[in-house]
Amino acid sequence: MNRILKQAAALALLPLTGCVTSTVDEMVFNEPTEGIGDSSVVILGRRHASDYETEFDFIECIADHIVARDSSIEIIDEIEFINTMYPWFEPRTAPLRPADIDKLMEREPVADQLAALKLEYMIWIDGSTVQTNSAGSMTCGVGPGGAGCFGFGTWGNASDYEATIWDFTDKAEVGRLNTSTSGQSYMPAVIVPIPIIAPVQGTACDGMGDQLLEFLSSEH
Amino acid sequence: MKKNTANISSKHGALITLLCAVVLAGCTTKEVVVSGNFPPPLMDPMPITLGIWYEPEFEGHEFFDEAKGRAESTWIVKTGEAQVDMWSQLLQTMFVRVVRMDGRPAPEQLNPTVDAVLIPKVQELQYAIPAHTNVKVYEIWMRYGFELVTTSGDPIANWTMTAYGKTPTAFLQSDEAAVNLAAVVALRDAGAHFITSFQKVPDVAQWLGARAADTQAAAL
Repeated sequence: MNRILKQAAALALLPLTGCVTSTVDEMVFNEPTEGIGDSSVVILGRRHASDYETEFDFIECIADHIVARDSSIEIIDEIEFINTMYPWFEPRTAPLRPADIDKLMEREPVADQLAALKLEYMIWIDGSTVQTNSAGSMTCGVGPGGAGCFGFGTWGNASDYEATIWDFTDKAEVGRLNTSTSGQSYMPAVIVPIPIIAPVQGTACDGMGDQLLEFLSSEH
Repeated sequence: MKKNTANISSKHGALITLLCAVVLAGCTTKEVVVSGNFPPPLMDPMPITLGIWYEPEFEGHEFFDEAKGRAESTWIVKTGEAQVDMWSQLLQTMFVRVVRMDGRPAPEQLNPTVDAVLIPKVQELQYAIPAHTNVKVYEIWMRYGFELVTTSGDPIANWTMTAYGKTPTAFLQSDEAAVNLAAVVALRDAGAHFITSFQKVPDVAQWLGARAADTQAAAL
């Protein structure tokens, strides 16, 4: 019995992953041929919709993905950027079209700050990851002999994100990427629950990160 | 007999304690003292010496919502301290000089000389948590009332303004932490809304126009 318990516990610790389906669409008009040099990039999430907001950790994940593969690309931290530029990038005030940048630049302190940051590209990510379905049931109990669970649970997640790339110098949209990902996670439990998680958001992050890296980096 | 009485009393005591525990277990009080960091706005200050008067109700503003059933919690959301922090920081950057008033402007009230005095008020606060709406978002909505008056208390402008903040549910995040975050987002939104709308309030615009005309006439 002890051996079974140990094996079940060891199995639960294994990084089991579920299947994920991912689709990436890309549309780029004006890719930099020699990378972005010493300019910087900011990746921002859209948060003006009432029923969802692009997750801060998803934006961080994309930035980390790009920097880990090309450390010469300088990506400004999203929260730091929003705080420095307050209140011009809040959900209520953030520019929705590249043409809105001109209006923003009419404010001298804003223009000075953006010039100091050497901002070349502003990338807007719009979308979220949601749970699409769930089923099953699990019962857990504790007794004098130990604790355990029995049952089966399953749930589905879906991600849909769109990245819009703005060239900050030309004040124009130069690219658009879309990634749709879905996957089903499972959790069977015989004494020990064994989570088989589908990394839906992580796959979306990798897909979008790779595409953005191709756009921004001269080495990829 | 005495012993029996004592036994009965201790049994009753235990029963009452148990009953109280059961009743109280269903009615918890969740208290949130809103706290957060508010960045200074990136803007040129307006050439106005502004007085600010915080009513005691504003400085100690709190929202109380009593539980309607045993499954619900009583909520106390204290926003007063954070309101004063945010508005003080915002106004000090938005105007050339900001002076805290000694009392509410009135003909007999001695106060420092300023161009106008702003009196903010929280007229209404509403909140929603996933338990209320079945949507995985925590929300705070506020309606402010502003009075802009002369040092003797004569009205210059009166207007209302709304602010909204939301935060999605997050793994391992308590209700209290999420409500605090939603309130901080709402306060930031209030600041953004105030900055972008102040000069557009008709009575304020008229007052600013008259001041500009007076300054021009004095210069000639």
